[in-house]
Amino acid sequence: MLIWLVLIPLIAAVLIGLCKAPARPTALLSATLTLALGIWAMVSYDCCTDCWSSIHGMDLQLTLGNALSKVMLLLTILVTFATVLGTNAPKGAEASWYNSALLISAGATGAFLSDNIISFFAFHELALIPTFVMIGLYGRGDRRTTAWRVTLYLGLASMVLLTALLMVGSQAGYSFSSIADYVKSGQQIQNAELIGCLLLVGFGTLISLFPFHSWAAPAYASAPTPVAMMHAGVLKKFGLYGLFMFQPMLNSAFLPWNEILLVLLVCNVIFVGYVTVNQKRLDLMLGNSSVMHMGYIFLAFAALVAAGNPEANAWAIKGGALLMLAHGLSIALLFLLCGQVEKQTGTLEINSLGGLGTKLPRMAFVFGLAGMASVGLPGLANFPGEFMVFFSGFAGSKACFGPVQIATVCCLWGLVIGAVYMLRAYRNIFQGDLSKASDYATELAPHERAANYFLVLTLVVFGFCPQLVLQFFTF
Amino acid sequence: MIPLTHYLILSGILFSIGLLGVIVRRDIIVIFMCLEMMLSAANLSLIAFSRAQGIAGLPNYDGQALSIFILAIAAAEVAIGLALIVSLYRARRSVSTKDLNVLHD
Amino acid sequence: MFDIDIQYAWLLLFLPLATAAFNWFCLTKRPNVAALTSTLSCLVTLVLSIGLIDKSGADNISWLTISDNFSINIGFMLDSLSTRMMLVVTGIGFLVHVFSLGYMADDEAKARYFACLSIFMFSMTGIVMASNIAMTFIFWELVGLSSYLLIGHWYSKASAADAAKKAFITNRVGDFGFLLGILLLWALTNTLDFSAMSIPANTCECLINLTILCLFCGAVGKSAQFPLHVWLPDAMEGPTPVSALIHAATMVAAGVYMMVRVQFSLGEAAFPEFSADVIATIGAITAIIAALMATQQDDIKRVLAYSTLSQLGYMVMALGLLAGEAAMFHLFTHAWFKALLFLGAGAIIIACHHEQDIWKMGGLFKRMKITSVTFMLGTAALIAIPGTSGFFSKEAILDAALAKNPIFFWIGAGVALLTTFYMMRVIFVVFFGKERSHSSEHAQEVSSNMWVPLAILAVLAVISGYGFIATDLVPFNDFKAAEFHLSLPFYVSMGTLVLGIILAYIFYAGSPASDKLSGNAISKAFANRLYIDRFYDNVLIRGVQGVLAAIIDFLDQFIISGMIVGGIARLVGFVGCLLRRIQSGNMTAYTVLFGIGMLLVIYFIVYYSC
Repeated sequence: MLIWLVLIPLIAAVLIGLCKAPARPTALLSATLTLALGIWAMVSYDCCTDCWSSIHGMDLQLTLGNALSKVMLLLTILVTFATVLGTNAPKGAEASWYNSALLISAGATGAFLSDNIISFFAFHELALIPTFVMIGLYGRGDRRTTAWRVTLYLGLASMVLLTALLMVGSQAGYSFSSIADYVKSGQQIQNAELIGCLLLVGFGTLISLFPFHSWAAPAYASAPTPVAMMHAGVLKKFGLYGLFMFQPMLNSAFLPWNEILLVLLVCNVIFVGYVTVNQKRLDLMLGNSSVMHMGYIFLAFAALVAAGNPEANAWAIKGGALLMLAHGLSIALLFLLCGQVEKQTGTLEINSLGGLGTKLPRMAFVFGLAGMASVGLPGLANFPGEFMVFFSGFAGSKACFGPVQIATVCCLWGLVIGAVYMLRAYRNIFQGDLSKASDYATELAPHERAANYFLVLTLVVFGFCPQLVLQFFTF
Repeated sequence: MIPLTHYLILSGILFSIGLLGVIVRRDIIVIFMCLEMMLSAANLSLIAFSRAQGIAGLPNYDGQALSIFILAIAAAEVAIGLALIVSLYRARRSVSTKDLNVLHD
Repeated sequence: MFDIDIQYAWLLLFLPLATAAFNWFCLTKRPNVAALTSTLSCLVTLVLSIGLIDKSGADNISWLTISDNFSINIGFMLDSLSTRMMLVVTGIGFLVHVFSLGYMADDEAKARYFACLSIFMFSMTGIVMASNIAMTFIFWELVGLSSYLLIGHWYSKASAADAAKKAFITNRVGDFGFLLGILLLWALTNTLDFSAMSIPANTCECLINLTILCLFCGAVGKSAQFPLHVWLPDAMEGPTPVSALIHAATMVAAGVYMMVRVQFSLGEAAFPEFSADVIATIGAITAIIAALMATQQDDIKRVLAYSTLSQLGYMVMALGLLAGEAAMFHLFTHAWFKALLFLGAGAIIIACHHEQDIWKMGGLFKRMKITSVTFMLGTAALIAIPGTSGFFSKEAILDAALAKNPIFFWIGAGVALLTTFYMMRVIFVVFFGKERSHSSEHAQEVSSNMWVPLAILAVLAVISGYGFIATDLVPFNDFKAAEFHLSLPFYVSMGTLVLGIILAYIFYAGSPASDKLSGNAISKAFANRLYIDRFYDNVLIRGVQGVLAAIIDFLDQFIISGMIVGGIARLVGFVGCLLRRIQSGNMTAYTVLFGIGMLLVIYFIVYYSC
């Protein structure tokens, strides 16, 4: 049953790529089917597993038992649908355009549903391939260099990660459930500290943790719209998902690194935040802002590690999950809008745009909402996430200032930084006098508007009823 | 009966001549022939061992069987190798190893 | 009045939201219908809040469930503090809606304007009725949004767009502290509900100070106190009715309301002396500098904006003097007369064809009788002529100041003098003397849907200080409305009143063509807002933040990305260059190496195995 969530996009991709099926309808059909199937699976099963095949010690088992898996699956199917619906493929590149989205979607779904840590890893690698290829083929600007840089960074990160996974797996079995059983039975994992470090570096690079973040902003700025949406929205959450999954089992492995992690995540928020303030191009600004927002989710993770187990700091795991979902939706929407701005005006230089709001009021409205979501305005999905993450920093602290609390205070300043760059961009793109570039703008196509409204709707729904997501958690 | 040592010395000399040929000659056909000579040297020592290891007048057939394998493989190798050399010549108009350094740069 | 169930408070909260959504999505093509829907919804909320006025009770729904025994709720809490404040919000809100029907009649984006007003009504209701401080924060942010939207209503005008951005970001700076304060308060008291809040015994006093001052940061942002006051005068770029409702009467008072609410929940005794002093000082500084700046403003709305700042400073000062009841009383009376003044200014601006410079007006008393009389009544309340509402509330603050700390009393008296002076300046210049420009010569009385709200507000500006309206306004410190004694504060305020009127008469009566006081360095400094805005723009924003961002970007680009990451890449490349030399491409050389390798393998196998 669950395997179809992975197979449908793969089959669609094969049909488009090899059998020359019409790209857009096939992709749209596949995305709609996975959306329906995924929501049905989430609603109808409390915990469903789907064991596909069993090779000695390496069975590909997909499960939907974990709350985090459900949240991530929800994110994947929503963003995939919006991506396929809203992208404008250039002439002649339709097949690769839609295939990249479908392949990333299949890989991400597989990774989020895998119980086996090797298939968890392998699915993610599958999803990375279209990222590299699409940046190299259709990217903006210096695409070759960017593609190489992304490949090297993520390739190295994957190596480090695989090492750690093998080290864990060789001791405790190659699946999340077997590792959990192993730890529950009271056995110790050897070399835990080293494993924790490797996991943090490996996953951290994939999520663009502070000193390993240099790939992210250029990659998103360069990537074609579907890849930017899928990667920033969905695939980047793979690392966080992995960390949150391993945390209950390997808490002692992460604990020695927690102080360092706190420093790095504050750098993510503050340092990268100011880098974002200084950007002059919309795509680079969004790329950097996505790096910056990862800091908040890391804060939830660090608070969780400090607390020990998820039940002890329910704010952290719930807030982190909600924020992952919300950030994925909002950044996907922003990249979608960024692509539309470029298509309408031919430029992404913030200062050469202006007054677009008078030409495209509906788009200005959507961009405003997306921007406000990323700023963390109540009523939109990011707010409850960020709010809970900040509370998680102070949960159980009795108001004494430890490292987690200090990091939380620093991260709070990110609220101001976020407002500065986002409102400045909005002011210069949509408000003020009509610039020459903005004058060319014409009304968006219906499918673009539909995708915009779809994502806005999800942001509003999860903003008003975050409980829809939180109910997945049983504690 | 000729002792084993003599065979082995002969085999060693043949092998060394072959190796020297591979190293010093430039013509790839000659190198190829030298390679064959090295294989023959190995065959010779195998048969010599087979004879020396024999029990009750019968040789140890393992070595002889192995040398038959080597002969068969050498034949196949000649077929492939000569074909390669011919197509190499067609492509580059030369069979000298001096000209075969495309991978250098 | 009449009796309704407290559950109607939910309707009071969510009706404006529904109206806003309906207007925004369904009625953009029918702006007049949108205007009427919003006004009607506001009328319904007014009726509801009158009905709920003496009710008390609370109800909550869980919004975020964190664990089995903790969740963040959305709910309402009715007590005399919140119901009276609701009366102010919906009452002034309704009158402003009615006024806007006339003021915004020809606006292109009327539907959006009324939708935004409804969003504002929703969020302000949320703040006022919030049952817990997390909910306050949520709606706090939402009023920030509606203020952003309404200041930037004419967003294609660069100054309006900039002012909106400035307001939002400045408020965010305050919210940084506010959220931190909420976190600390939560960690300290282990609850977010106002009704259950209490500071545990033997808590370190500096921690309580920190918590309260962090919460106060939020009030500094929203109520535009020094040093975050800079956004409020710029916010006058918005339509004038918005200035009346949001930036004079209700939203900017939310900071004061929130602090009173916290003071009421924690108990005044919980406020340590240090934080109380800081709050009072901030309020006093704001009151005095804003009053000084107001004396040299030429834009009629800006004069009123600075006057608002100064009056907010008064309220905050009262908060710091632990006289929450006086602050709340002044908030209540100020809301009516300041809304009146702003709407009156709006009427004048419309009548003078969007002229806002007072030195181009003059002689309007003859042409706009109703507006002039109502404006003067508002002024009378603001400068605290005995018998008007403003007199009683100001007297309460001055009484409290004299009782607690005479320095603040004398500051308050000075501010009262300045207030009288700058308001009488406006009156003399705008309503008397000769017409100074073409636009004021053709001024005509505004239409009835604009002057009727003015008249209603004028009545309320006079009577809202009396017991039958303001009784039970504040549920603590045995507050009594309309009470004063013939003692020092009374004599001093009478003195300042008379002195202020005389000074204004000397300088501005008799139709001078320009301000006699302008031109010297001091008045230039006042007119330029003591250069604080310029300092922020050039030093803090462009200087510190801009340079910091540039430096950090440089570090990111060249040190991390260029030198560390790029350096490692270059190192790998260099090693590769070295290793490349071994690869000669010469087959013979490879053979030799291969031969040597074989020899070594044989050697090691023979001599080192087993």
